[in-house]
Amino acid sequence: MDQTLSINSEFLNRFEGYAVEGVKSAASGFSSMLGESLKAQDPTFKQVPITEIPKLLGGPETEAVGIYLRAEGDVPCQFMLVIPLVRSMELVDLLLDQAPGTTKEMGSLERSALGEIGNLTSSYFLNSICRLTGLSVRPSPPAVMVDMVGAIMDIIIATCGGISDSVLLVQTKFANEKRSFETSFWVIPDNLSLEVLSTKGRG
Amino acid sequence: MDNPIAVGLGECVVSKANGDILVAYGLGSCVAVSMLDPEKKICGLLHAVLPEEIKGVETRTKFVNSGIEELLHSMEKAGAKKEKIVVRIAGGANMITAPGFSSSFDIGTRNVASAHATLNKMSLPLKSESVGGHVGRTVRFYVETGQVTVRMIGGVEANL
Repeated sequence: MDQTLSINSEFLNRFEGYAVEGVKSAASGFSSMLGESLKAQDPTFKQVPITEIPKLLGGPETEAVGIYLRAEGDVPCQFMLVIPLVRSMELVDLLLDQAPGTTKEMGSLERSALGEIGNLTSSYFLNSICRLTGLSVRPSPPAVMVDMVGAIMDIIIATCGGISDSVLLVQTKFANEKRSFETSFWVIPDNLSLEVLSTKGRG
Repeated sequence: MDNPIAVGLGECVVSKANGDILVAYGLGSCVAVSMLDPEKKICGLLHAVLPEEIKGVETRTKFVNSGIEELLHSMEKAGAKKEKIVVRIAGGANMITAPGFSSSFDIGTRNVASAHATLNKMSLPLKSESVGGHVGRTVRFYVETGQVTVRMIGGVEANL
């Protein structure tokens, strides 16, 4: 089934409500890890052609860290956090309470710290969705990749590309007054989730 | 003058213009298939996403098996001779190695297997390959020289 068939403006409005609440909650998860308050900046919710995905993140050869999780249950979906490589090293220094510039490469400790951000943001997002809908869902452990954006996003493209030419995504960045973490937070719901959520709340 | 042409997801480009560089950027599980007719200096590059064609999907170049057929067809249409064609492939990495993920993420391996099977079925010999592993690749195909290169993250361009 083509994902586009499930989507109409009424559904988009309702799902956007869930998604915006979800990313606000995800920002709380990120904040709890960092120890400082962050907000989800300009959360956007849109349908994107699959072939455009790498271009949205600075081009397919841009070096970045990708943190991937999959959620299973009533509303299966995929999560991907994408952080530019240099920014992710700054983030690791902050997470591990190190002087800026300490992190030079992404070893297992650094990957684990970043994976925990994926864990918390996606868990907070899912908790919010479950609270609003009464549905149940659980995330997988995070997988952390350090590579070109194109290669990282191939996971989303390969898992969605066979059935649809576009994906529905929720995207935001996390920031406070002092700093902006260039973290793109992507949520890509499976077709099954779109069907479940489209019937949810229908009077 | 160099003229890089991006060969995006599910695209296939054929060129015989000196100066053109066909580029498939940031391949993860995707596979790039290059074909060269060295005598006529015709070059073609495919950037395929999934291993097997799904009926009802219009873009045949999105898939490795039907994409290779389309690439050969485009090469022949441009004047290439099948028996002269040199094939090289790159990509097909498995980006996720973390435990807890099912083999459904093994798309890179399946893409490479599909390329091998299709080339074998079509009697197209494979000259060289840079496939598998857990890293992304960028493939460049220089039409003027017929040279194909691969670059991985943090690395330099190397001949394929």
